[in-house]
Amino acid sequence: MAVGERADRAASGAGTVSARSWAARLGQDVARIVVLSAVAGLMLAFFASGVYQLVAEARAVENLTFEDILPSPGEILDAWRAHETLLLDRHIPETLWETLAGLSMAVVLGVTIAALMDFSPLLRWVLYPVLVVSQTIPIFAIAILLILVFGFGSGPKITVVVLFCFFPIALNTFGGLQSADPELVSLLRAMGASSRQAWLKVRLPAAMPSFFGGLRIAATYSVVGAIFGEYITAQHGLGVFLKRSYSSFRLDQAYLAIILTAALSLLLVLLVNLVERLALRWYYTSRRSDWRGPGIY
Amino acid sequence: MAETPCLDVRGVSKTFRDGGQTVTALENVSLAARPGEFITIIGPSGSGKSTLFNLITGLAEPDTGEIVFDCGPVRKRAGRVGYMPQRDLLLPWRTVLDNVILGPELDGRPRREARRRAREMMPLFGLAGFEDAFPDTLSGGMRQRAALLRTFLTDRDVLLLDEPFGALDALTRRELQRWLLDVWQRFQKTILFITHDVEEAVFLADRVLVFSARPGRIVKELHVTLPRPRQSISLLSTELREMEAELLDTLRAANGDPALPDAR
Ligand SMILES: Nc1ncnc2c1ncn2[C@@H]1O[C@H](COP(=O)(O)OP(=O)(O)O)[C@@H](O)[C@H]1O
Ligand SMILES: [Mg+2]
Repeated sequence: MAVGERADRAASGAGTVSARSWAARLGQDVARIVVLSAVAGLMLAFFASGVYQLVAEARAVENLTFEDILPSPGEILDAWRAHETLLLDRHIPETLWETLAGLSMAVVLGVTIAALMDFSPLLRWVLYPVLVVSQTIPIFAIAILLILVFGFGSGPKITVVVLFCFFPIALNTFGGLQSADPELVSLLRAMGASSRQAWLKVRLPAAMPSFFGGLRIAATYSVVGAIFGEYITAQHGLGVFLKRSYSSFRLDQAYLAIILTAALSLLLVLLVNLVERLALRWYYTSRRSDWRGPGIY
Repeated sequence: MAETPCLDVRGVSKTFRDGGQTVTALENVSLAARPGEFITIIGPSGSGKSTLFNLITGLAEPDTGEIVFDCGPVRKRAGRVGYMPQRDLLLPWRTVLDNVILGPELDGRPRREARRRAREMMPLFGLAGFEDAFPDTLSGGMRQRAALLRTFLTDRDVLLLDEPFGALDALTRRELQRWLLDVWQRFQKTILFITHDVEEAVFLADRVLVFSARPGRIVKELHVTLPRPRQSISLLSTELREMEAELLDTLRAANGDPALPDAR
């Protein structure tokens, strides 16, 4: 697309729309169609074989009854009553604390990285590959290592949450900073603003909608990160509760843990949406006012 | 005092390198604005009018020539004049009130005092009741007024307005022209005003400068002697039409192209 546009501009700039550039453009279009169909075809093939696999395996375990794998709501409620105090006093607060602490630190880290990359082309050149690579090496591997080394406390779990969460925040915020209208920056410069003033008054606010998009993704990751960390080894937390439930084959308790995890994630996302609505009132006025819904990804 | 120009552009040229090509946007342009003068600049599109403003505001450096304020060269030109770019460029995340106090805020003056003054000016700029509205909820005319108020509140003596009414319908434009003259007289500003509307150029100006097509040069200077205050365009018809015709001829000659600009 960008290449096509540049070619177009070059062609019109030279003032000659020759047959060759027309042919080149046709060639690009054909190439684009071929690549897109290949990708779509491949995805369709994977989808079909995935469905086939699932169906085959479900047939193989036919003898497992529905009741075995899905406890009734009543049973789950009983499990809640039995463990209510422990969950409310120990596990949920622990998970919540790790989640919120990790998410806050991820915000600070992510925004700082985004700001650094926005400030300096050199840092962008250095940090961007590091950032991407940090996501391609499996986070799970690093997380397990961290927890095995640092042990039972909350620290390593918070670190895991940060690892899970900083990337979408950094990437989205960086994208938002880069998308700020350069003419707005020029206007402020012409009015005598320092580059610090121009950054704080134009680029940072312009990045806020993207930042919140990243924060929303991070919020869902954060609970999963904390549970995952606890699952490996911990004293308290929903992850521990889940692990103990599985090892004693208490599926009612396991479902309870899953439901609580989901509820926690949902609450966190709703909280992010609420803060976003309050902070970005300008973004949701006028032409966007007919847009409804909590905006969950 | 009346003799010393408050803004003096001396023999300024500017060439851009765009890919392999070089574009000379301005060639040896000089103009001196006296305090309180209203200068309009007219010329075909691409004749370097906006580039001239970018040079004066310090967004770009001239290749040759110099730009002088109040009889002395200055190291930093940014922030010396009030500048209203072609697009209104209001900050979408700020209310109208917080947009218009941007100038004082950047100067480090207290916001509370700036807001108080801005509130007082709102009715004069037709913005009363819209203090807390976000720019996206406003009409084009309102946004333009807000951008103008922002430019006025910078408290600079010289204001550069780049096609401020270009995007407005004829009726709103007439209204804002009259209103701008009123405000200009009341606050004793020096104004450089770019337009592509010949009638507008004559109606507003003490002096009209005509730019040629690329490379931009000043090919004509017309002193407008119509009496002030000027109430409405229709009352000034005969003389105004004569000057308009003269300017249009100049533009056609400068352009080598009879199609430009808006001749209605
Ligand atoms: N930053 C820039 N880089 C390259 N070319 C530019 C730049 N700014 C302006 N130009 C060119 O300079 C010429 C004059 O532009 P401009 O001053 O915007 O004209 P006007 O405002 O009179 O319509 C145009 O040909 C434009 O393409
Ligand atoms: Mg222009």
